[in-house]
Amino acid sequence: MLRGFLTTASHWLYGLHQALDRERAPAPALLPPAGSRAYRRLQRVVLAREVADTLFEDFAEHRASPRGEEEVGWILLGVREESEVRVRAALPAGADRDAGVAHVHFNSVAQAVAWRILRQADRRLAMVGVVHTHPGSLRHPSNGDFRGDSLWVGQLRGGEGAFGIGTADAKPVNGQAYADHVQTRDTLCFSWYALGDGDERYRRLPVTIADGPDVARSLRDVWTTIERYARPLDALCEQLAKVNFEVAQDGQVLLVRFGLAGSDHTIRVLLRQDEARFFLDQGGTLVAIDPEERQLDRAIYLILAELARPPQEAEASQERAVELVNAG
Amino acid sequence: MDFRPLTDTERQRLIDALRNNAQNNRAILMDQRDTSFIGAVEEVTDEEVISAIKSVPCHY
Repeated sequence: MLRGFLTTASHWLYGLHQALDRERAPAPALLPPAGSRAYRRLQRVVLAREVADTLFEDFAEHRASPRGEEEVGWILLGVREESEVRVRAALPAGADRDAGVAHVHFNSVAQAVAWRILRQADRRLAMVGVVHTHPGSLRHPSNGDFRGDSLWVGQLRGGEGAFGIGTADAKPVNGQAYADHVQTRDTLCFSWYALGDGDERYRRLPVTIADGPDVARSLRDVWTTIERYARPLDALCEQLAKVNFEVAQDGQVLLVRFGLAGSDHTIRVLLRQDEARFFLDQGGTLVAIDPEERQLDRAIYLILAELARPPQEAEASQERAVELVNAG
Repeated sequence: MDFRPLTDTERQRLIDALRNNAQNNRAILMDQRDTSFIGAVEEVTDEEVISAIKSVPCHY
């Protein structure tokens, strides 16, 4: 009798377990193909607090500079969520930007290299928007902006981007708050808009601030160096797989490592604004290299070619070099 | 610890994350305070971002 009771109980528990499993299993409708994240229209842009600081501080600094009459701008990097963008970095237009009183075109190659550096730490960082300034009090993107942005924005995640317009026309509003798409600090003002692929016009985009860093701040000290070497660095990153960046020596040096195939050896390049120094890192032992070539990417390829020599040929080359030194 | 049932949206995000973890080796993010699920790493590709950055139009 006891055995019969246990068998019945066991069957009942098994049935209950199966029923619970069915209840826990997601409905087929909840299993779309992988990677098909659904984006809705942008509801707001969320700036990391330090990104907001960057925008206001850069804008103020720019206005006080010799090029203060020109337009200036930033690209925004961050994460596109379902109905908002979270901005984690603002990259400057760069000293090599093309700008005047009525236009600004960024140094995009330097910005691309900067993104490559930042993505080492965060592989989610995507392009999420653009900010630029206007002279006077035009707080809305211009017709010219729309012509360019409407063609460009479709390639962003969700087919939509956040666009900020900076002006220097903020005034006290007698205790009333500005609209939720406007930020002000002293006389400076940023007005935010969203534009999606196929939209006929921008629409106001509420902006909020969340605690967090501007992850691109660490690059500010080496920005001049990044711009100086942007084209060869960008080309090398396109061509070679094992390229790694580090801002070293308290922001004074951009260190670039090129990993060598089949070993843990690397070519290290220390970049300063007007200097590039090359080393071979053989597992901790550094050997200085003089490639006798000023062009950065060509210098790297010459070093790689030298390192690719067969061992006997490399030894013969070294012996010949010694003979030449002795003969001299 | 919160044992409430997941909403449809939360359940969908978790399923997507598990599927991407199994199929594409994508990391699943965990809240360091209570080990609850907080999302998945959505990596972007070089081509996607570099192309967008380099094609930013002139602004006026």
